[in-house]
Amino acid sequence: MGAIARAEQHAEVAGGEEGQSQYLTFMLGGEMFAIPILNIKEIIEYGHLTTVPMMPASIRGVINLRGSVVPVVDMAVRFGRKTGDVTRRTCIVIIEIESGGEKQDVGVVVDTVNEVLEIPDTEVEQTPSFGARIRADFIHGMGKINGNFVIILAVNHVLSIDEMAVLEYAGGAEMEALALA
Amino acid sequence: MELDQALQTFIMESRELLEAMEESLLGLESEPDDRDAIGAIFRAAHTIKGSGGLFGLDGIVAFTHVVENVLDRVRNNEVPINADLIALLLSCRDHIGMLVEQIAADSAAKPDHETETTGIMLLNQLKSYQAGTQEQSPLPAITSSQTKPQSQTAVVAQSGGTVENDNWHISLRFSHDVLRNGMDPLAFIRYLDNMGDIVHIVTLPDAMPFATDMDPESCYLGFEIDFHGENVDKATIEGVFEFVREDCSLRILPPHSRIEEYTQLIDELPEDKIRLGDLLVNCGALTWNELDEALRLQSLNAEFGCDASASRDSGNLGQILVEQNMVQPELVDAALGKQKLAKENKVQESKLIRIQADKLDQLINLVGEMVIAGAATSLLAQRTRDPALHESTSTLSRLVEEIRDSALQLRMVQIGETFSRFNRVVRDVSKEIGKDIGLAISGAETELDKSVVEKIGDPLMHLVRNSMDHGIEKSEIRLQRGKPAKGTLHLNAYHESGSIVVEVGDDGGGLNRARILAKALEKGLVTANQTLSDQEVYGLIFEAGFSTAEAVTNLSGRGVGMDVVRRNIEALRGTVEIDSREGVGTTVKIRLPLTLAIIDGFLLGVGSASYVVPLDMVMECIELSEAERQETRESNYINLRGTVLPFIRLRDQFREQGKAGRRENIVVVQYVGQMAGLVVDELMGEFQTVIKPLGKLFGNLKGISGSTILGSGEVALILDVPALIQRAVNKEAQQLAYSQTK
Repeated sequence: MGAIARAEQHAEVAGGEEGQSQYLTFMLGGEMFAIPILNIKEIIEYGHLTTVPMMPASIRGVINLRGSVVPVVDMAVRFGRKTGDVTRRTCIVIIEIESGGEKQDVGVVVDTVNEVLEIPDTEVEQTPSFGARIRADFIHGMGKINGNFVIILAVNHVLSIDEMAVLEYAGGAEMEALALA
Repeated sequence: MELDQALQTFIMESRELLEAMEESLLGLESEPDDRDAIGAIFRAAHTIKGSGGLFGLDGIVAFTHVVENVLDRVRNNEVPINADLIALLLSCRDHIGMLVEQIAADSAAKPDHETETTGIMLLNQLKSYQAGTQEQSPLPAITSSQTKPQSQTAVVAQSGGTVENDNWHISLRFSHDVLRNGMDPLAFIRYLDNMGDIVHIVTLPDAMPFATDMDPESCYLGFEIDFHGENVDKATIEGVFEFVREDCSLRILPPHSRIEEYTQLIDELPEDKIRLGDLLVNCGALTWNELDEALRLQSLNAEFGCDASASRDSGNLGQILVEQNMVQPELVDAALGKQKLAKENKVQESKLIRIQADKLDQLINLVGEMVIAGAATSLLAQRTRDPALHESTSTLSRLVEEIRDSALQLRMVQIGETFSRFNRVVRDVSKEIGKDIGLAISGAETELDKSVVEKIGDPLMHLVRNSMDHGIEKSEIRLQRGKPAKGTLHLNAYHESGSIVVEVGDDGGGLNRARILAKALEKGLVTANQTLSDQEVYGLIFEAGFSTAEAVTNLSGRGVGMDVVRRNIEALRGTVEIDSREGVGTTVKIRLPLTLAIIDGFLLGVGSASYVVPLDMVMECIELSEAERQETRESNYINLRGTVLPFIRLRDQFREQGKAGRRENIVVVQYVGQMAGLVVDELMGEFQTVIKPLGKLFGNLKGISGSTILGSGEVALILDVPALIQRAVNKEAQQLAYSQTK
């Protein structure tokens, strides 16, 4: 379970300078995304995942993170895309989410982790109302890196516990719903 | 900081005392002559006042003082105990409770206006019970325990007499060899009795060693005898013991002996654990009546928590005795010295320790981690195939298991305490709604996890109030229906297959099935063509906003509550069901897991995943033979020794990918008398399961109740068997209904 990078060490740097924040960029289905580094606790190798039955595909399962059980979300499925193949470079990014005043760790499966970048606030554009092929409320903004755009995700929306729990319910009740139809 | 901690202790103690006080008060309602109960109430009030004084909590001291005065008069039979007084005292108890809670919330807080008004009102009511000689205002300016209630002392001084010290006092210690020498100590005492009257005799077993060290042929006893005889002189008494002169030490004090002689006697006595009062009685310096009188006076002047020197300053037993000329100061000093020694020994002997709950939780967590780490170690040991290592790890696992059990045992508490709180609730509520209802409690000694006990109080309260308000009919209706006029509410608890069942039952009107259905239709909870079992209909009352009561009362009927009850219980991994017969009564059964932390599990494999079933539910495991596999393609039951065993294919239920293994097994589980089979690929045996919650994300997932970490570090899921069965039942019913409509 070797940690590739302890994001916490970078986190101290993040708030250091005014007007710019640090982001972790990663690949998902050939597309680049960024998330603010402050929410990231650590990045671990993909593996030892236990599937939880009767859950929708967007929830891959749970892992044992040093004694606590952490759910793992497949972000590609959450974006309504195809789940990616597991490769040597597949990682789980552990992110701390605040939900209803409680903090919870959630793992996110990504294809590849790229790098930690600094993006000045002035280089963050408004969310386009359409075109990104992702729900608008999942997007925090569009960051400009070397003239290319990268989608900065609104982590608390993408990984909203309340919303995913309801999704799960719909998934769990699927059979019943089918039978009732 | 230290004072803060002491204050916390005071608050905690006060809560306990108030609870005890309430219990005794309620007991008095049925048995008004229970002297013990009156004594207990008095002591509770008194202790709170005394300790409150130490912290300078003037409000509590002032109020409690008046209550205590009244209680004292009750104790002396100056005021008769009746229902009104009990009600008033209960209100006073609540008021003291409120004052204590206010201190708990903010130690510097002044009572708010409302509380103060209540206090004054209660004090005015108490006034009529107070002694006519009471010269104090309703709020006496008593600020600390050091102040002596003058009027009380005066009253007692009149009734307290002088010491009847015209008895001989004989202090007798037999030597160990007395029996071997053929003497029977009792014979001498009997002989003594012929000479006159043995007024008091106290046997002193203090020299008795532990059972293992005891020699049955030795005599370890000593006696303190108060003897009254006409025309008896010292020589006569000595003559009685002539034969054992060599084998005993005898001290005889004539009537009206000099004080020095008593003092000397106390010093010479070998025993040290005897309380001052007993000592004085043993010495014949006091009679029991005088001791009681003195003890009561001592207790009036609190000295709780004071060290010995402080207690000397405050009015203690010794001083009171001296003041009332009962004994001489020198005598008291000698006895006090002994009492102090005895006190110090008592502290060491104390059997109970108060522990903070979070420390205990931390211990349980660590034990949980240890169980997981132990499992990992055993797994590694098995791989090495080293027998010695294997043996050592299995010893270790057994120890870990024992530690786990005893750690969990620390958290187990009896449910009785929770139940007995309802005595008061039932009493108050029945008065309020004008029904005659009694409470019957059984299974109070059933133990369950403390954290469960804490969380079950509110749901129980809802259920009890609901039963009283809606369940039990008014007396007139009850009589019409041929039932006793007094309704009964029954609280019961017992263990059943790894869970604890708590029942709230009443002998009231029962649930009205038709009315519930009508209401449910109106609310759109069910459709008209649905067929529902009784259980399902009764279950509807747990839906949010559901109430069939025509009138909304103060207590219940607003439809909030029952859904909260169910939510709270489900949050504890429990279930709730209702049994009801119209006209006979309703019983609500709450089924809860015994513990929330660690269980004995049975590990099984389905596909690549592992699952845990609570071991208590597993009845047996059988192989699903090839023939049976063929047979059961279409149906989901087998013949288990002549009975039908329906089963659930976990592989299908969990939509596990891939083909089933070459062999399949059935784990037969039992829940609430219902048997079912779970078809699995692999049986992996018993496993100590540390329950890790799955978190909110899986909050709505039915069929999985939690997770645990295996020795390999992988996560295994814990199956919620009842939910799985329920799911299978629903699924099949709905599929059938669906296929029929096609």
